[in-house]
Amino acid sequence: MKGLLREFSKGIFQENPIFVIVLGLCPALAVSVSLENALGMGLAASFVLVFSNFIISGIRNIVPSRIRIPCFIVIIASFVTIVELLMAAFSPQLAKQLGIFVPLIVVNCIILGRAESFASRNKILPSLLDGLGMGLGFTLALSVVAAIREVLGSGKILGFTLFKGYLPATIMVLPPGALLTLGILIGLTNIIKSKIRR
Amino acid sequence: MNNKLLLSVSPHMHKKETVSIIMWMVSLSLLPSGIAGIFIFGPKALWIILTCIITAVITESGILSLRHKRITIMDGSAVLTGLLLSYNLPPDLPIWMACIGSFFAIAIAKQAFGGLGRNIFNPALAGRAFLLIAWPKYMVTFSKPFTYPDSITCATPLTLIKEGNADNIYQLGLNYLDLFLGNRSGCIGEVCIVLLLLGAIFLLWRRIISWHIPLSFISTLALLSWLWGGSQIAQGDVLFFLFSGGVILGAFFMATDYVTSPLTERGQIIFGIGCGLLTFVIRKWGGYPEGVSFSILIMNAVVPLLDRFCRPRIYGYIK
Amino acid sequence: MDAGTILSIIIGMVFINNFVLSKFLGLCPFLGVSRQIKPAVSMGLAVIFVMTLSALLTWLVYRFVLVPLNLIYLRTIVFILVIASFVQFVEMVVLKKSPALYRALGIYLPLITTNCAVLGVTVLNINEFFVNGKPISASFTLSLMQSFFAGVGFTLALLLMSGIRERLDLVDVPRHFSGIPIAFIVASLMSLAFMGFNGFRF
Repeated sequence: MKGLLREFSKGIFQENPIFVIVLGLCPALAVSVSLENALGMGLAASFVLVFSNFIISGIRNIVPSRIRIPCFIVIIASFVTIVELLMAAFSPQLAKQLGIFVPLIVVNCIILGRAESFASRNKILPSLLDGLGMGLGFTLALSVVAAIREVLGSGKILGFTLFKGYLPATIMVLPPGALLTLGILIGLTNIIKSKIRR
Repeated sequence: MNNKLLLSVSPHMHKKETVSIIMWMVSLSLLPSGIAGIFIFGPKALWIILTCIITAVITESGILSLRHKRITIMDGSAVLTGLLLSYNLPPDLPIWMACIGSFFAIAIAKQAFGGLGRNIFNPALAGRAFLLIAWPKYMVTFSKPFTYPDSITCATPLTLIKEGNADNIYQLGLNYLDLFLGNRSGCIGEVCIVLLLLGAIFLLWRRIISWHIPLSFISTLALLSWLWGGSQIAQGDVLFFLFSGGVILGAFFMATDYVTSPLTERGQIIFGIGCGLLTFVIRKWGGYPEGVSFSILIMNAVVPLLDRFCRPRIYGYIK
Repeated sequence: MDAGTILSIIIGMVFINNFVLSKFLGLCPFLGVSRQIKPAVSMGLAVIFVMTLSALLTWLVYRFVLVPLNLIYLRTIVFILVIASFVQFVEMVVLKKSPALYRALGIYLPLITTNCAVLGVTVLNINEFFVNGKPISASFTLSLMQSFFAGVGFTLALLLMSGIRERLDLVDVPRHFSGIPIAFIVASLMSLAFMGFNGFRF
């Protein structure tokens, strides 16, 4: 039981996909303009992550190892297509804002990375929990970046104005602000990690 | 062993002057133009200059003490960064923005890389670019000279010509002497060309800067402006293009920064040509009226490659 | 299609909408392969090649297979398969024909399959140069040019970054910031510098 809990919780801080493993950065930067986009992206990626981990772990003994990567990609791409169609149907506004980053979940390194390094070697239940934890960690990291950028860059959070009279620093919602925020956050994570170790 | 070997990144320069003397000399040579700026735009320019310098010094010492390093404020590099940043800001900028720009210049563009001598980008220009992208409206609002205390806003000559409000400087009610003495709207330290040139001559005479970067920068820009700057080919108003923006300040005082410019003479000439070319391209076709700071920043990123491919050949070594 | 359009695509894809610094595509190889100059150049060239030819293939597949068969919702799956098999094919050809080139580029080819810049540019081409399943005028040429110069922009960013990182290796960047965090800060400042081209028009 303890082991299972660990599989779930490791993705949130110790092995946070963005701040610690530093994978799946493209969406983390591109869609973190607002918290709403970040939550949408986190949800979509977690959905794909959980289901692809589930299926891949289920078929791990059937697929010959030489063609496993193409198989993984097809499975992931199928779930991404499902997400794409669902999002276009139920939340066209969000689909439009996330743009090409929805189909690009296919090549999000976290998903293929977890498939290859975890789901293809573990039983179904741990793989599910791993997917859930990693998805949650990804969503959390994305939300932190997005919240910082949205507050500083447009003076709002989830669309609500926070302070009257604040002059938003436009740079934070533009590409340099994204790179800067992530760089500083990864640096801070390093500092926190070394403090904990000590 | 550790105490005997000192490893540090190039440039390793052997001169009688120490780093701090060079920094203070550059600051000194910049001083007259700043005083002229205060005279032209009023006391608010002085507040911006002081804010930038004080913020830079406080940020630098704060970060150095956080990193448990010796506090080397007296080397003058933080003062110079603050001074240069303030020279690149419009006199009407809110004081707190100048403060943030100066903090960014020191904390991110300089100290995150490890401090003096390690930075890749010119800190003052990085601070200016940050402010320009963050609060564009405030960074392009300039005041007319000699209209303080209640200043009248007025676009810079480059902006007016770019937006097609005038074809030449006489239509703007200016003449070349105005440009030369600084009787125009613009950033605090860039307007008084004559005093900037005096400072530059002083630095050249003391051999603190070499002629390679300024000459190649300015002559490339002059040539391109002459050829394509006017309405017809080879009709461009070269003097106007050189004296109406931040070219003189940029070419002599910022592109020549030891840390962020190439080491070899060949590299420096390529660097200067690149700055001139990019400045012209941004001025002519870009969205911003002035491209000096962006072009120097872009070329800063190329410097490591220039240093690598312009290495002097080792004597007797055959490839 | 006039010179202005072509120049706008070049400046747009190389500087303003630089794939790495402005659209955040291909960040993983940008951080992973930018420690030294030589591998960075090899990776950049491989990406230019794969991007351009993938764009060609996916354009043809989309135009002549997916649209007539009414299968455009399968775009993502089909494109990633086309790219993966194309990269595999190139790898085999290069290994057979030129072992020297394989040694230089070989290990980068598999990495390119999961480079989101490649899938990204093919999806962008379809989004921009097709309207309701019909190609706009000069759609094919525009797609190829956009992909090629996106690759050039990627290579430029990678090359500059590798030069800077080689130099940063020699200095004592604050310990917690060395490696990835400082690479991001450099990328941020580069992106800031490239913003000077914003609003570019002929």
